[in-house]
Amino acid sequence: MIKIENLTISFDDKKAVSDISLEIKPGEILGLVGESGSGKSVTALSLMGLMSHEAVLESGRVTFGDTCLLKAGEKPDEKMLRSYRGKHMSMVFQEPMTSLNPTMKVGPQVAEQLLLHAKDRYPDAQSRRKCVVETFESVGLKEADSLYDKYPHQLSGGMRQRVMIAMAVILHPELIIADEPTTALDVTIQNQIVRLLKEINERENNSMLFITHDLNLARRICTRLLVMKDGKVVERGDTEKIFTDPQTDYAKKLIAAVPGRVKHPEIDINNSTGNKILSVRDLSVFYKEQSKKLFGGKINRQVVFSAGFDIYEGETLGLVGESGCGKSSLCKAILGINTNIKGSIENKTVRPQMIFQDPYSSLNPVRTIGWQLEEPLYTMDVLDKDIKTDKKWRKEQALKMLERVGLDESYYSRMPSQLSGGQRQRVSIAQALITKPKLIFADEPVSALDVTIQDQVLDLLEDLQQEYGIAYLFISHDINVIHRVSDRIMVMKDGHILEIGDRDKVFEDPENAYTKELLAEP
Amino acid sequence: MINSVFRTKDGKLNTYLVIGASMAAVVIILSVLSIFWTPYSPTAMSAAQRFKAPTFAHIFGTDNFGRDIFSRVMKAIGTSFLISVFVVLISGTAGILIGSVTGYFGGIIDTVVMRVVDAINGFPSILLALVVISLLGKGRANVVLALAIAFTPSFVRIVRGEFIRLRDADYIIRARLMGAKKTRILFLHILPNIFSTFWVSVTIGFNNAILAESGLSYLGIGVQAPDATLGSMLSDAQGYLGTAPWYALAPGLTIVWMVLSAAMLSEGISRRKKGVR
Repeated sequence: MIKIENLTISFDDKKAVSDISLEIKPGEILGLVGESGSGKSVTALSLMGLMSHEAVLESGRVTFGDTCLLKAGEKPDEKMLRSYRGKHMSMVFQEPMTSLNPTMKVGPQVAEQLLLHAKDRYPDAQSRRKCVVETFESVGLKEADSLYDKYPHQLSGGMRQRVMIAMAVILHPELIIADEPTTALDVTIQNQIVRLLKEINERENNSMLFITHDLNLARRICTRLLVMKDGKVVERGDTEKIFTDPQTDYAKKLIAAVPGRVKHPEIDINNSTGNKILSVRDLSVFYKEQSKKLFGGKINRQVVFSAGFDIYEGETLGLVGESGCGKSSLCKAILGINTNIKGSIENKTVRPQMIFQDPYSSLNPVRTIGWQLEEPLYTMDVLDKDIKTDKKWRKEQALKMLERVGLDESYYSRMPSQLSGGQRQRVSIAQALITKPKLIFADEPVSALDVTIQDQVLDLLEDLQQEYGIAYLFISHDINVIHRVSDRIMVMKDGHILEIGDRDKVFEDPENAYTKELLAEP
Repeated sequence: MINSVFRTKDGKLNTYLVIGASMAAVVIILSVLSIFWTPYSPTAMSAAQRFKAPTFAHIFGTDNFGRDIFSRVMKAIGTSFLISVFVVLISGTAGILIGSVTGYFGGIIDTVVMRVVDAINGFPSILLALVVISLLGKGRANVVLALAIAFTPSFVRIVRGEFIRLRDADYIIRARLMGAKKTRILFLHILPNIFSTFWVSVTIGFNNAILAESGLSYLGIGVQAPDATLGSMLSDAQGYLGTAPWYALAPGLTIVWMVLSAAMLSEGISRRKKGVR
């Protein structure tokens, strides 16, 4: 019914997608998976005729039923496309923060769809309001009537995404394009949204194009899959078939890299020696915040409430929780970056280091990789001065570490802007490890990376742990990653530690209801 | 090497930088040359040569005392250029020192210093310089000092803003975890990151310094006669606008030239910066 035939789109003579064909049948959910830059979003936008001005349609066409929406060499008929958008096909975007207009109440924003496409059926404001409220209810928004008059900033991320979905389904379009609809949401909300999308698909029997980088998610929701790489479709077929019997090398690699909850007895070695290297007791962390009152001064807002736990030498303690639950604040307090704390921290290691999530902001953009690797050797206070001022020795150490994290000598003199995200994260790891600390705080170290890169970096972290006997406090929102790396797991919510225990115990028999919901295998 | 300096990241010629650098090169060559050589003595008067319109012998013409205007402009460029360079050098250095400390550490020092900076900023810079010069007396050194005091606040603001933006960056937090000393973090980790922004504000500051110096000389409280400066030449020339329009045109256009070259340079630098990401 909806078809893309031999589509090739290029930007500045570089092909973003080349020779793509796909067909979406009524009632099915077609998944489009692949790593960032593989051309997923460009494909989706071309369906709507929403490509940017720089995009050149080199060949192929897009047809909707019998109508041709886009064709190479022909100027797109904007009027016709407009009549299709919203009415026959609609889109749900990744970022609910930016896809709603912040200056407009959410109700009227959704009602605009009715005004534009179904004015004959809903001629007056009253009937439009009724329809919007009903749609709000159908996407699981509570107190829909009062919600109508709220602004986007008064809503949580999950609620905003539901509003976006309401906007997409209100005219019962034949096709819904969902471009990473859950990526910006917390795990528990993610599950709810996925369930909702599936429910809508069953109820309305419309088709859905589901774009995601998360293969676990694709497996749960999609009936058929298209695997994309560098603008080409490398594999297509039924979801289960691709997962159980991938044909191409790339698909095999991609599937193998997905962190599942399979136990690998040969990898699952607990390196812990049983020596306590960090013990935190009754730790409360505060942030100074400007009071909302005029002349109110500053108030202390508590973000972590009497946390207590230990870390043993060589182990990995996984820390899970939703965004804003105080995971990062806890780390920064222990590392001494935030000193506004109460309680006791007993750290037996020298200078624990931290690895951050964003590979683009964790390296100094104006210094060479070599300089950044040598810097910790120069600043550390465990060696005598003669060694650390020895340039040759420092360079030797830096090169050795580069090689250890899988980068060759040529990276020594490069600038961070010349490196990819995965390579930067390797440099970050090298920089954190070069002084051989015994404790490392890893704050979502692989969350910004593509699946295959993620897998490589996790392997590297595990290897280095065995080699140097490092303990990790490993923060992640991705339950599967946590399952893979952790020996023990700690669950946080709203600044409280809810549960802490051995991985298998927490996963198989969680004590806490929230833990159960968080870790639930979807 | 030189080729790569004048090209943006995507290989296009950075026209702003090329034009700005060429214009600035003319200014710098003339000002250096004026120390050793000018076509005529800038102070030699001649009753017979009064108010000669531009010719090949006197390309900018002569003034009311029969002095060669081109030679005087050359000297004046040298004076203006030197004063502006020192003003920017002093206020820029002060800006980095004060701005980095207040921006990075914040707290009570920041509050106090920034209020002082606000107070200085409250005065128009010419007025402030007037006050300082009337306290210290006239002379080149005092003009430099007066303008440097007036220009420091804007540099403090810019440097402080950049330091506040960068002090909580992930790579700075990591530098702290490595155990780097505070001065090391300030000047080796953060400072190189603000240079591209800083150079833009230096060129803008240089512009303002040229204009302010000319303004002071025009008002008669800058560099004193018989030394030529662009401002004092303009002030002398305005009485003869009807009879000898070239007299005012020469220093006026020179000011425009110098200001434009610095503006082009700053635009060129900021374009380079954007290319880098």
